[in-house]
Amino acid sequence: MQGGSTGIGYGLKYQARCISDVKADTDHTSFLTGTLSLKEENEVHLLRLSSGGTELICEGLFSHPNEIWDLASCPFDQRIFSTVFSSGETYGAAVWQIPELYGQLSSPQLESVASLDGHTCKIRCVLWWPTGRHDKLVSVDEQNLFLWSLDTSKKTAQVQAQESAGMLHYLTGGAWDPHDSNSISLTCDSSVQLWDLRTMKKINSIEHAHVRNVDYDMKKRYTLVTAEDESGIHIWDLRNLKFPVADLPGHPHWTWTVKCNPVYEGLILSAGTDSAVNLWLASSLGRNDSASDSLAAPPTRRIEPLLNSYNDYEDSVYGLAWSSREPWVFASLSYDGRVVVESIKPHLPRK
Amino acid sequence: MEIEGGAPLDDKAKRMRDLLSSFYSSDPSSASSLPPNTSSRFATLDTINTASFNADQYMNLLVQKSNMEGLLQKHVEMAAEIKNLDTDLQMLVYENYNKFISATDTIKRMKNNIVGMETNMEQLLEKIMSVQSRSDGVNTSLFEKREHIEKLHRTRNLLRKVQFIYDLPARLEKCIKSEAYADAVRYYTGAMPIFKAYGDSSFQDCQRQSEEAVAIIINNLQGKVFSDAESIQARAEAVMLLKQLDFPVESLKVKLFEKLEQFLVNLNFDSKELTDSSVDVNGSLDPGRVPHAASATAHEASVREFAEAVRAYKVIFLDSEPQLSKLAQDFVTKHFEATHQQIEKQIHSADLVTIFRVIWTDVLLLDEVLPEASLPDFAFQSACVAVKDYISSAFSHFLLHISDAVTKVQGRQKEQIEEDYPLQVALEASQKAVLQGSMNVFLEFRRLLDENSGLLLKLRDLTIDWVQEGFQDFFRKLDDHFRLLTGKSNVASQEVNLLERMPGDKVAAGLVLVLAQLSLFIEQSAIPRITEEIASSFSGGGVRGSEYGPAFVPADICRTFRSSGEMFLHLYINMRTQKISVLLKKRFAAPNWVKHKEPREVHMFVDLLLQEFEEIRTEAKQVLPQGINRKHRRTDSNGSTASSRSNPLRDDRLNRSNTQKARSQLLETHLAKLFKQKMEIFTKVEQTQESVITTIVKLSLKSLQEFVRLQTFNRSGFQQIQLDVHFLKSTLKHIAEDEAAVDFLLDEVIVSTAERCLDPVPLEPPILDRLVQTKLAKTSEQSLPS
Repeated sequence: MQGGSTGIGYGLKYQARCISDVKADTDHTSFLTGTLSLKEENEVHLLRLSSGGTELICEGLFSHPNEIWDLASCPFDQRIFSTVFSSGETYGAAVWQIPELYGQLSSPQLESVASLDGHTCKIRCVLWWPTGRHDKLVSVDEQNLFLWSLDTSKKTAQVQAQESAGMLHYLTGGAWDPHDSNSISLTCDSSVQLWDLRTMKKINSIEHAHVRNVDYDMKKRYTLVTAEDESGIHIWDLRNLKFPVADLPGHPHWTWTVKCNPVYEGLILSAGTDSAVNLWLASSLGRNDSASDSLAAPPTRRIEPLLNSYNDYEDSVYGLAWSSREPWVFASLSYDGRVVVESIKPHLPRK
Repeated sequence: MEIEGGAPLDDKAKRMRDLLSSFYSSDPSSASSLPPNTSSRFATLDTINTASFNADQYMNLLVQKSNMEGLLQKHVEMAAEIKNLDTDLQMLVYENYNKFISATDTIKRMKNNIVGMETNMEQLLEKIMSVQSRSDGVNTSLFEKREHIEKLHRTRNLLRKVQFIYDLPARLEKCIKSEAYADAVRYYTGAMPIFKAYGDSSFQDCQRQSEEAVAIIINNLQGKVFSDAESIQARAEAVMLLKQLDFPVESLKVKLFEKLEQFLVNLNFDSKELTDSSVDVNGSLDPGRVPHAASATAHEASVREFAEAVRAYKVIFLDSEPQLSKLAQDFVTKHFEATHQQIEKQIHSADLVTIFRVIWTDVLLLDEVLPEASLPDFAFQSACVAVKDYISSAFSHFLLHISDAVTKVQGRQKEQIEEDYPLQVALEASQKAVLQGSMNVFLEFRRLLDENSGLLLKLRDLTIDWVQEGFQDFFRKLDDHFRLLTGKSNVASQEVNLLERMPGDKVAAGLVLVLAQLSLFIEQSAIPRITEEIASSFSGGGVRGSEYGPAFVPADICRTFRSSGEMFLHLYINMRTQKISVLLKKRFAAPNWVKHKEPREVHMFVDLLLQEFEEIRTEAKQVLPQGINRKHRRTDSNGSTASSRSNPLRDDRLNRSNTQKARSQLLETHLAKLFKQKMEIFTKVEQTQESVITTIVKLSLKSLQEFVRLQTFNRSGFQQIQLDVHFLKSTLKHIAEDEAAVDFLLDEVIVSTAERCLDPVPLEPPILDRLVQTKLAKTSEQSLPS
């Protein structure tokens, strides 16, 4: 399982936590990543995988005023992205536009599209609807959920709705259902909450789940993947929230993030604080579920869900992104600022 | 010419010949008897006597054949013959004439005689007429008398019958007295038609009396049928007689059958008593054997009796085999039901064996009487079920026993620990339960095998298979049960868990650890022993068919338990680290680190952390074995060299970290990481105290680092963390084995804090030491009085 250094590397100057696939860029496989430096001037890097897939090229380098805790690319405009930032005690979230480059590689200023002001506590993340053009934007802070109406051409963002998740629930993050633009899941201390954005009400929840990260399966509706607090990955069917559909072992230490492949059903990436990225195949496990009712089946026949473990990292891996253009490519970002792009082609399930 | 002239002559001659031949009827036949084709010359000369004699032909022939002399001679001969014939003819005519004359005379005489006959006949008619009239007279005169006589005769017959009927009661009495019931029944059935015709009117009394008598007879006969003392033949006869008396035999049959059933019920009660007594007896061993044996013989006697009754019934009532078969099968079924109840009461195999022995003798007894019921087969099938039941119940008791032993931990922990080492006690108890229990189970089953009586002998191979299967199944169930206890069960068995699954937080971590060790114990000690046992005394069942392989697959079970053991260990570590994570989370969520105040003492979360570690250590010490020389090996590993190299670097860096060279600082970290071997923090966990504790400590420290990375610190916050970590460094040495890794991780925490600090100025080492010393003094002070 020792993954050799097959990946293409790129070093950021500073430590970093977040990387995002530029979905709207249909011509190239691009990623956006932002640094997390307390004292230095932070940067946003636009990386492009060369056409041969052998090199990561920095297409743009933009300075960002504060350290970036979350970064998300707009799914319908490749030049627009959002960041969540903080500096000391101040915090904020904004939508930015990459300026026209005209060939030069200097660090021009990012053009601010909108500032998502109004949060009263630490902002966790900004979510775009992953499937296509949508004029709404969701931002999550420790206690509240904001629904923004965004107009990129007029460069305005207005709070459309705001709801508190309750005093005792410290929200930590969330994910927007790619199959339903009204449904969103939020993670908090001890549960996963499912919200309806039309009514701004919690409609359901997975209780007693200490979840660090969630992701929806892009291909299979009603499937939610969660990274559990200690370790372990659970796969849920949203129509039956009592028990997970399947379990994956996860990482020895924290499983920080999970990402479902946008094209291949059941392929899941997880990154952990054990400095490794694991590639799982869950679909076979889920499918076998009904058949493995008989306990008589010896445990050896169960298919090993772990396809590969990439552990050529020096530090905890926090950032993870599949490329939507080339779905067999993913980018990972470890805390020491190293971006590694890997291809999972050798592990793809045979069709 | 001759033909023309000869034609009338010929006619005449022919008529003559015909006449003659009709008189001498033999002639034409003799003539025709001559061969027709004797056309030779010799033959032709003979044809003179035949019917087809042709005179011309004859002449021609004669002329042709004979010479003159011959012709002359012939002529002479012929003349002589003709003369002879003429005289003969004349003679015949005379004779016939004579006869005709005499006939005429006779007729004349007859005519004379007949004349007197007419008168005679008339006289005769007259006489006959007179005789007839006389006889008619006699007839008429006698008719009345004869009528009378006939009437009298009839009356006499009737009277005789009436007499018979009047005598019937007495006769019946007599028969009853002499017990000639057959005669009585014959009399009574003879009288029946009369009673039927006149019973209502004339013979009421008589009928009543005789019916009374018959009732007595019926009673007696019934008594006879029911009495076991009578011979079967007599009873069968009695039933026949009853049938003749139109007595409802069916009801009798039903009654008798009920009696048999009743008998059976009593009998079963007996058997129950028998087993009960034997069970009671079992507690007090030897003294009980005698009554046990006594009751057994009593039981056997009653079964014998039952068998006799069945035999009698079979003879008495024909075509009753199906019913009896059913009864006998009922008997066996009831037997086995009783056995089943015993099995549910956790019976010992010795008792089971005795029960089986009793059943088998009973079955043999009954089979002699009633081969149609094919009782041995039936019993065999039932015994199959019973033995299977027994084995499964034995295993389920065993399972219960073990789970009791295991779950005592949880219960005991709830009600405050009284013993010093509850986990150790629980582990030892459950280990003992597993070993002792399996040995007991073996003992029980071996007793089943050792038994040589019919039923169990037949079941031997099956039993072996079942025992093997039972063990296989048992261990699978045990594993499931363990998983259920920890709330960590397969997704496959979700349905069960919906009801029973305990929420993960409520499971005691200690229990998980005990289960982990117990799984290991089962894999390494219990299974080999059981395999040995099976090999020595339960091998060679082989009824299953070789393609399935042996029922008991130790490798399979070992694998299951090994993986479960690992799973439990990981679960334990998970549970523990989760708890510590919560602790750390609280620690970092509460204060505002950017506005932290100057550190004055080591923060109390360290105490909590150490307390947790201490708790884990006590648990691990109770349950897990000690590793061998781990400490030594670890210090030699790559990690220590790496940390020893990185340490001066870091100290150096920390000292001048107030200089604004964060970038080069990061570079240094990178460089340091490039040069040192990657620290193996997440090594494989082994089932030893040290390994488990070290793993937990390492994971906790890693968590600490991750929490630090999520915060932003001011100088004082950084210094607080520095102080806490410094204190941990000195204390964790005693707890965790892998000093290098712990040091490395603690350094990482400080580095991470420095990275997340706006103004990372470390505390001066003397201050650090002083604060740590005060803390140490304080803790030792606290620990001393307590």
